[in-house]
Amino acid sequence: MDKHTNDMAIEVKDICINYRILNNISVQKSFLKKKVHNEVFEAVKHVSFQLEKGEILGVIGQNGSGKSTLLRSIAGVFAPNSGEIDLHGNTVSLMALGVGFKDSLSGRENIILSGMLLGFKEKEIQDRMEEIVEFSELGEFIDRPVRTYSSGMHSKLAFSITAMLETDIMLVDEVLSVGDERFKKKSLARMKELISDKNRTVIIVSHSIPTLKELCDRVLWLHAGEVKQLGEPEAVLKEYGRFMGA
Amino acid sequence: MEYLNFFMFIIPPLFALLIHNYLRHGELSNKRKIVFAIVYFILLNAITLGMSWLRGVKGLRFEDMTLTYKIKYISLGTVMGFVLPFPICLLTEDQITLGGLKRYIKRFCQDMKKYTAYAIRMAKADLGAEVANAYLDWLWWMIEPVCNMLMYTLIFGVVFRASEPFFPIFIFIGISMWGFFSRSISGSVNTVRVNKGIITKIYMPKYILLFSKMLVNGFKMLVSFGVVAVMMIVFRVTPTPYILYAIPILIVLFLFSFGVGTIMMHYGVYVSDLSYITGIVLSMMVFMTGTFYSLSKRFPQPFGELMEQYNPVAFLIASMRKALLYGQAPAWELLLFWGFISLGLIALGAFTIYSNENAYVKVI
Repeated sequence: MDKHTNDMAIEVKDICINYRILNNISVQKSFLKKKVHNEVFEAVKHVSFQLEKGEILGVIGQNGSGKSTLLRSIAGVFAPNSGEIDLHGNTVSLMALGVGFKDSLSGRENIILSGMLLGFKEKEIQDRMEEIVEFSELGEFIDRPVRTYSSGMHSKLAFSITAMLETDIMLVDEVLSVGDERFKKKSLARMKELISDKNRTVIIVSHSIPTLKELCDRVLWLHAGEVKQLGEPEAVLKEYGRFMGA
Repeated sequence: MEYLNFFMFIIPPLFALLIHNYLRHGELSNKRKIVFAIVYFILLNAITLGMSWLRGVKGLRFEDMTLTYKIKYISLGTVMGFVLPFPICLLTEDQITLGGLKRYIKRFCQDMKKYTAYAIRMAKADLGAEVANAYLDWLWWMIEPVCNMLMYTLIFGVVFRASEPFFPIFIFIGISMWGFFSRSISGSVNTVRVNKGIITKIYMPKYILLFSKMLVNGFKMLVSFGVVAVMMIVFRVTPTPYILYAIPILIVLFLFSFGVGTIMMHYGVYVSDLSYITGIVLSMMVFMTGTFYSLSKRFPQPFGELMEQYNPVAFLIASMRKALLYGQAPAWELLLFWGFISLGLIALGAFTIYSNENAYVKVI
């Protein structure tokens, strides 16, 4: 599958992502006001970086600095307003907190549906089903509708799906602190196992300096949508620590 | 009625201009608006007058015109006003090119191919979840329309004396098809909001969500048509080869609902109270679609027959009844025509969604 080992896996070229602060309009309002004035909020400004295959990038920054937005646009949830993202044909999955499921369906159905959206065939997912269910520790809840799950169970299921259905590029958004202590350890171990694969490219967003120090090859520090620093974990994280402490 | 003499020439071009402006994302300058208004005025009236000339109406004499003629003139003009902006835009607007159109069509086909398996799987799962906790399981999909049918048969057949031959089946066909259409449209308005959880995590063309929902509704409709088949045997309806028309009719109904649904789905993201409006419009439409009675017989002429031709859902329901119950061939030219219009609507809807879906995730 890989002819050249030092292939680029992700190339992000000068991307900007804007949120138009366009609130829900009602029919009445749109009749009264002729033109709805839109404010534009720039969440990510002129960010560029390249990742080689197998590299692990940590992303750090304050709340609202555009980390999740960046990750989502790499995952293809929305395209950037300008600039380019080239994944060189790699499959990509985004692992993020919060619901990504259809509430009315059972955990099992949701595993299949999520897997299909990640580009797997139903057969491949069925083959790995037991592993996923076992890893998620959901037990009999797996056949109940997702709306009956606790928030911890939600996250466990989400983590298990992306951790077991392996894609070339994994985007990890703040999910390494999911569930109870035991699950946390287990997921961190699984994460390390996944990362150790030389063909897998990973971007991790986290607020935990120790985790990033341990896992990453490079760290990107985003501040107000712009790249503040990009480089060796030691140096960047030290700077960041000082910045946040001050 | 003198006003109509004026409006019959004006309404279609204005509608065409609206569609044209829509295709250009509302960025038409005032100067161009005036130019295109004139272009559409000339073209549309030339087409409509040409049509009526071919049908034997030579010359324009307002005093001789019947109301039917005027309404037909407006209806035909409006439908043409929907079609015409597409080629005109291709020819005149730099931003809209044949290559771009081809790209969109190609992308649409690829996406449909890629995501159909997902849509079907999701529809299956939805159907499964719907019955998982119900006592009577899938029987509900039959019980519900059957009960409605009994109710409407009593009210419209006995109380309002609007009975037709094979009245229970007549009603059943109406409510099955109308149910599919109205459920698809009212569902489309909040499709994006309902599936928020999924679409903030991963990309998919957003109309796939609607497509999947419509597969669910379509399956329920097919169950009702199973009941129709049983009722036809019980009521001893003599089947004719025309019942084969049922298939193209259902296909056109699906395409039309999908086309309208994609457009409604887009506006549903931004306009928060759209679901109220669709609710009102849909319940108004029930009566203009002849779900419970024959439009052409019960409505004052010429409106009844006109509505049966120019309201696509009414036309499809009436055709279905003709084909299944009364052994008459539906007007296939009109069926083909509405099929093409539906494809146009889908093109418009898919184009709208492709060019805006990026922003959906940010709004909800």
